[in-house]
Amino acid sequence: MSKTLLVTGASKGIGLETVRRFMTNAEADVSTVLMLARASDEFTSAVEELRADNPRGVTLVPYTIDLADREAIIALVGEISREHGSVDVLVNNAGYTKPVPLQQVDFADFERTMAVNLYAPFTLVQELLHHGTQFDLVVNIASTAGMNGRSGWLTYSASKAAMINMSEVMREELAIYGTRVVCISPGRTATALRRVLAPEEDPSTIMQPEHVAAVIEMLASPVGRYVDSRNLVVRQ
Amino acid sequence: MYSLLLLNGGVGARVAAGQPKQLIKVKGIPILVYSLVAADAVPEIDQIVLNYPEGWRDEVEKVVTDYAIKTPVTYVPAGTSRHESVARMLEHVTNDDVVIHESARPLVETADFARLVASEHRNVSLMLEIPFTVAPVEPESRRVTGYLERSTLRNVQLPQKFSRADLEDAHAFARREDRLFTEDATLVAVAGHDVRFVDGSDRNIKVTTPTDVRLATYLLTGGEDDWNE
Repeated sequence: MSKTLLVTGASKGIGLETVRRFMTNAEADVSTVLMLARASDEFTSAVEELRADNPRGVTLVPYTIDLADREAIIALVGEISREHGSVDVLVNNAGYTKPVPLQQVDFADFERTMAVNLYAPFTLVQELLHHGTQFDLVVNIASTAGMNGRSGWLTYSASKAAMINMSEVMREELAIYGTRVVCISPGRTATALRRVLAPEEDPSTIMQPEHVAAVIEMLASPVGRYVDSRNLVVRQ
Repeated sequence: MYSLLLLNGGVGARVAAGQPKQLIKVKGIPILVYSLVAADAVPEIDQIVLNYPEGWRDEVEKVVTDYAIKTPVTYVPAGTSRHESVARMLEHVTNDDVVIHESARPLVETADFARLVASEHRNVSLMLEIPFTVAPVEPESRRVTGYLERSTLRNVQLPQKFSRADLEDAHAFARREDRLFTEDATLVAVAGHDVRFVDGSDRNIKVTTPTDVRLATYLLTGGEDDWNE
């Protein structure tokens, strides 16, 4: 059976590296990759680059979407379900942050953080279930910043803490389908989001997106079902 | 192909007062969901006849919709007895063979339905060996009246499957004889039809008391950790 993979935040960082790994991994048996990201030149060129080197002939389908827009997600899941049927592996990777101290948090920005980091993964899972998808695997990308509060990162920390908790509930509830739900909390990873959180840091000194993607690939492999962790911490 | 008669209509207050017991939740999920999802994955079941307690149709339909059950579902109001419920459901059956299950057994697995369907016989029940001794008694005088050889007794479980004609005939027999049966395997057998059994599982418990709910929750939450690990 050839599987369908859906990755959010697929234009760069962990999302893009995850797509790259599944495209070349014959054993993972992914034949269709649905890439979700906001419209950008970066996204367009990433898709072009992937298509130029696609020896397994994987079908790459890019969708531009702002994941803060719940109605757009609902409409898109309808379209995806009609065109591609069930999603076998979902990687909820897209993240947003604007790190500021409590006194400076703009509530609308807090809402956007929760919308992208928490409500979007929830809505994708719920809508896909409503359309009859019964996932093999759901990978939710949280953060070590969700395991304890970080001064100056209130909105991001809170959203990721909720993601860790939501993943535990999903894991229990989706057991009726035999779905595995894994939550990964990467530590410092050289992504665009990390540059927002820690602009002064040298990205070459920390964990790279492909390292996290390799962990996701392992989780989707046969041995992945022996990794029994409610919140898998991946850090240097 | 088979029609599943999913009994979901009994109104009992043993688990949660004021609610029909089948709309209670196990692990936070309506108990009905477990049987629906397990049966939905069985290709040989192409119709689900689901009954509902009076006043609960909307809630039951919403569960079926929310969980995207793919097999077509026919809704039938529950009868006042199990016999009446089964008779009402049989009127809506589109196949010559039926599977009977009850939502109060949430630990049923797709494999249980598949094993039943795969049996070469048409009237088959899941049954379980009895690991303890049962005695025949006279309840009024509290007198023990004899001995039962437990190797020749079985704990009757669900799901079961029947030829629709045999099941209809057996229910007509019970009406004629004015006899009440609490399940259908013994009824169909007593009515003169050949009924076989396949081995069930001691996990497939019937949830009727608050203790059963806790036990089912434990089993469904991976309560199988090996203490030697």
